[in-house]
Amino acid sequence: MHRAANTAVYAWSNIVGPVMIRQCLKCRVPPQMSARAYSVVPTPHDSEEKEMLHRILRVDHAGEYGANRIYAGQMAVLGRSSTGPLIQEMWDQEKVHLAKFNEILAESRVRPTALLPLWNLAGFVLGASSALLGKEGAMACTVAVEESISEHYNSQIRALMEKDPDRYTELLQIIKEFRDDEIEHHDTGLEHDAESVPGYWLLKNAIQLGCKAAIYASQRI
Amino acid sequence: MTQLLYKKTTLSAQRNMAALLRALRAGRALRGLGSVGAAPAAAQPLCCSLTRGFHRAALRLQDESKSEKPPSSSTTYHEHYQAHSAEQEAAGAPQEHSATEPAAEEASRPNTSYQDQSGEQGEEYETEEQLQARILTAALEFVPLHGWSVEAIAAGAETLGLSSASTGMFYNGAGDLVLHFVSQCNSQLTDILAEQHNQVQLGQAEPKKTAEFLRDAVETRLRMYIPYIESWPQAMSILLLPHNIPDSLKHLSTLVDDMWYYAGDRSTDMNWYTKRAALTGIYNTTELVMLQDSSPDFQDTWDFLDNRIQDVVNMATTAKQVQATGETVVQGLIGAAVTLKNLTGLNQRR
Repeated sequence: MHRAANTAVYAWSNIVGPVMIRQCLKCRVPPQMSARAYSVVPTPHDSEEKEMLHRILRVDHAGEYGANRIYAGQMAVLGRSSTGPLIQEMWDQEKVHLAKFNEILAESRVRPTALLPLWNLAGFVLGASSALLGKEGAMACTVAVEESISEHYNSQIRALMEKDPDRYTELLQIIKEFRDDEIEHHDTGLEHDAESVPGYWLLKNAIQLGCKAAIYASQRI
Repeated sequence: MTQLLYKKTTLSAQRNMAALLRALRAGRALRGLGSVGAAPAAAQPLCCSLTRGFHRAALRLQDESKSEKPPSSSTTYHEHYQAHSAEQEAAGAPQEHSATEPAAEEASRPNTSYQDQSGEQGEEYETEEQLQARILTAALEFVPLHGWSVEAIAAGAETLGLSSASTGMFYNGAGDLVLHFVSQCNSQLTDILAEQHNQVQLGQAEPKKTAEFLRDAVETRLRMYIPYIESWPQAMSILLLPHNIPDSLKHLSTLVDDMWYYAGDRSTDMNWYTKRAALTGIYNTTELVMLQDSSPDFQDTWDFLDNRIQDVVNMATTAKQVQATGETVVQGLIGAAVTLKNLTGLNQRR
């Protein structure tokens, strides 16, 4: 009888103990910490930081959106050729990037750039016209754009690291990952005879100038 | 003076370390208790106070690190942004930002207390921003009497026991009073919307449809003007003065952004702009209608609001229908073209 009571108490405390502790852990997770756990971007301390973070996110979102449209334009022309699958693969990765930025923008309540319709059109036209120059043209366009984007991501990473690497860990991780993907696209473009297009130097620099202008505009508008 | 500051920070750093060590020791004791499973019921409040202790220590450390930053020239503009963003953050998403709000408030205090730099953290000191806010809030009850003017501010200052000369603090005069009132109303609305959002998350309330939600939000917000409706035309004209336009537009845009956010809008394309433009139009026109509405309880205004929201909903539905029809028509044309090509034999490949 006594032993039965003992085992009953022992069993009860075994069950209740972990449940209580789990409930304990749930009870008062500091709201700031729980927000950090689920959001990539830390809550800004002041309006300066908010402005900086919003600019970064806005221009990155615009960049991924533009890249998407460029690949869409290239696929529209070269979709059924032998380079189709290659471009499709790169496009799919860009779609993943865009989805991630859409998520971040929504949860941080960042205003998207008002020039999106412009990038929509310009990106598609750029992709399609570069693809009309053939596979090498499309690859040259890819090389130029991806080089611009990875340079841009690098400068953002530098800026965030200078400010406070610990505070922006998740954001830095995401930007680094995306930058590595873009560099991979750049290398793929080079591998597939981007440099053999006539007027490569001119084409590359013109596209990169356009990208710089786009980045400048999207940060502000 | 910097030496005193250093001493202050090391003392408080020591206090924080002590708090953390205490919390850690309590944690170790708690784990011991937990493994025996002896006092599960008592563990819960203990655990909560433990996490609260961690949280408070963390807040203080965060506050320390912020007050260690070089106190930038504490212009009113900078304070205004800090306090404004602190109250915006607090109002905007209390479940996420309530932790940062006391920290931000505490950080803004040491930055601007001119008098006492030695010793105390200055928890009893009020910033100029907070004092101005108190005076303006007190001034609101004199608005029906004096209108939106410096006299109302003076009367408000006097009820707080300050001299009426303190209106000299307000460079913008009546504009400050109106902008303060508008910002206060916006914060109240955001609190209400956040509360409703919480209720829905907890499952204690049904989520409203977008049109109904927006209708209720605009009505709630405009009802805050009812006590001042007689003098509101004067307030609106003050808001339209050139030097007040940037601030009033900022208040309007944050108001509309908040309303859409709590209505569930998470768009990241042109819809972000079109939705906010539509709601701004609805809000402004309804406000104007309210000014000259003499029906009981402003029923005409709410009917007008209903109709405008219905218009926007109809427009959105129509746009979708047009797009769907367009796509179908294009596909039909392509089908017809292919059929023609087949009939004329152009599609044959040899």
